[in-house]
Amino acid sequence: MIDFYNVYKNYPNGVSALIDTSFHIKKGEFVFLVGSSGAGKTTIIKLISRELLPTKGRVVVLGRNVARLKRRDVPLYRRNIGLVFQDYRLLNDRSVYENIAFALRVIETPGKEIKKKALESLELVGLRNKAKVKPLELSGGEQQRVSLARAIVNKPALIIADEPTGNLDPETSIDIVNLLRVINLRGTTVVMATHDKDVVDRLRKRVIELEGGKVVRDELKGVYRPS
Amino acid sequence: MKIKTWFYFLGEAFKSIYRNGWMSIASVGVVIVTLFLLGSFMILNYNMNFLSEDIKSQIEIVAFVGEDVESSQLDQLEKRISSMPQAEEVDLVSREDALVRLKEQLGEQGHLLEGYEDVESNPLRDSFEIRSRESEEVSALAQEIDSLPGIVKVDYGSEVVDKLFTVTRVINWVGLGFMFALGASAMFLIANTIKLAVYSRRQEIMIMKSVGATDWFIRWPFIIEGLVLGVIGTLVPLAGLYASYQYVVDWVYNNIPFLPLIPPSMVMEDIVKILIVLGVGLGILGSSFSIRRFLKV
Repeated sequence: MIDFYNVYKNYPNGVSALIDTSFHIKKGEFVFLVGSSGAGKTTIIKLISRELLPTKGRVVVLGRNVARLKRRDVPLYRRNIGLVFQDYRLLNDRSVYENIAFALRVIETPGKEIKKKALESLELVGLRNKAKVKPLELSGGEQQRVSLARAIVNKPALIIADEPTGNLDPETSIDIVNLLRVINLRGTTVVMATHDKDVVDRLRKRVIELEGGKVVRDELKGVYRPS
Repeated sequence: MKIKTWFYFLGEAFKSIYRNGWMSIASVGVVIVTLFLLGSFMILNYNMNFLSEDIKSQIEIVAFVGEDVESSQLDQLEKRISSMPQAEEVDLVSREDALVRLKEQLGEQGHLLEGYEDVESNPLRDSFEIRSRESEEVSALAQEIDSLPGIVKVDYGSEVVDKLFTVTRVINWVGLGFMFALGASAMFLIANTIKLAVYSRRQEIMIMKSVGATDWFIRWPFIIEGLVLGVIGTLVPLAGLYASYQYVVDWVYNNIPFLPLIPPSMVMEDIVKILIVLGVGLGILGSSFSIRRFLKV
């Protein structure tokens, strides 16, 4: 599903964010990306979502070499990936329902399907009853659930979450991760970049640890930091 | 794309225009001023051309006869002019005829000439109206006639027309300069409005990109926004020009009846086409400029 082959990424300011990074994630896996700030987690996520291109090496996602994607195919490619961010990225001037419907409308989903899909998705994250509420009237955990509902509404094959629990308290964080697990159990591959030791240690999923742009550890049923 | 999508774009464009109210008003305002000015110049030019055609077609050369020339000598003069190889047609217009003609031209105001009607007080002169065989020869023929004894003054249509054109040309250049500057600032203001619109919707744009909206789906509402600003900026001056030109034509018809003006419907046809093309063009150019610079899709 996601294959990094000797990937290098240098930024124009001279920073080498990734150095000879290789790893492979199979369909249906749940993977934590851990490491201190600046270790290269966000760079990996941006390479997967094709916001960045590798300086060297190959990134193959869903069987496609991202560097070879034509410009006009990039949006279509992104429809296979659900993105979740630390800051939720919701539109605060419209309702929860409208936020989800917006994501469907801008990829030209037929009108009839929009309502059905949006409500289904809200049902799954347990916010069906808050459909008419504006995001700022919700708690942080609820807002993140809305953003999760938006990420899965188009049934993507892959969910990429960049520090989704970064702004949340431990209990709420567990809720969000449990939700990701449910989504994972339904067959969606989940990659989650995180600093959250509790969460990683509790779930015992595969952990890829980065340090200075290199993969220093890749273990199944791993913990946040072994030492 | 589906019709529904286009309605969505249009809705987004209007929302954005409303949100950036003052900027939108400013850019539409400058488009209005620019196109109103352009339209006025076009109307002026059309009428100048119309008027000069009219003058040219009426008479080519008028030769005025001196007051000391006896009426018996007029026949002789007419023969001499007729014998010139370039002269095709020569008509004698007596003082009395000239007065009658002027009175006709004045129409309702004809009573102004009362008291000038008897031979003593008639202020007009006898004259010859001459048509030349070839229009290029008019000025040569006019000079030849001017040299005849008894002829005091020669007017020829193209002379008046030339003067008219010189004036029009100067007005046109000045106007063109103005319009160019105004057009540039209209485009700049539209570009700036779109830039603000892009800025105020950056969160939306970011989300659209991350969920996989196509580049054109993201761009269209902004292009349409520019287009709408341009179109509003076109319709207002068109309505204004039509109404005010109609008013001018009515006024001239009632007050200066001998001044011919083109009927509004005839001028407006061309003006509508040109102004719409320009308004739409300004709008699209302005918005694409900003989209290229500020909308990184």
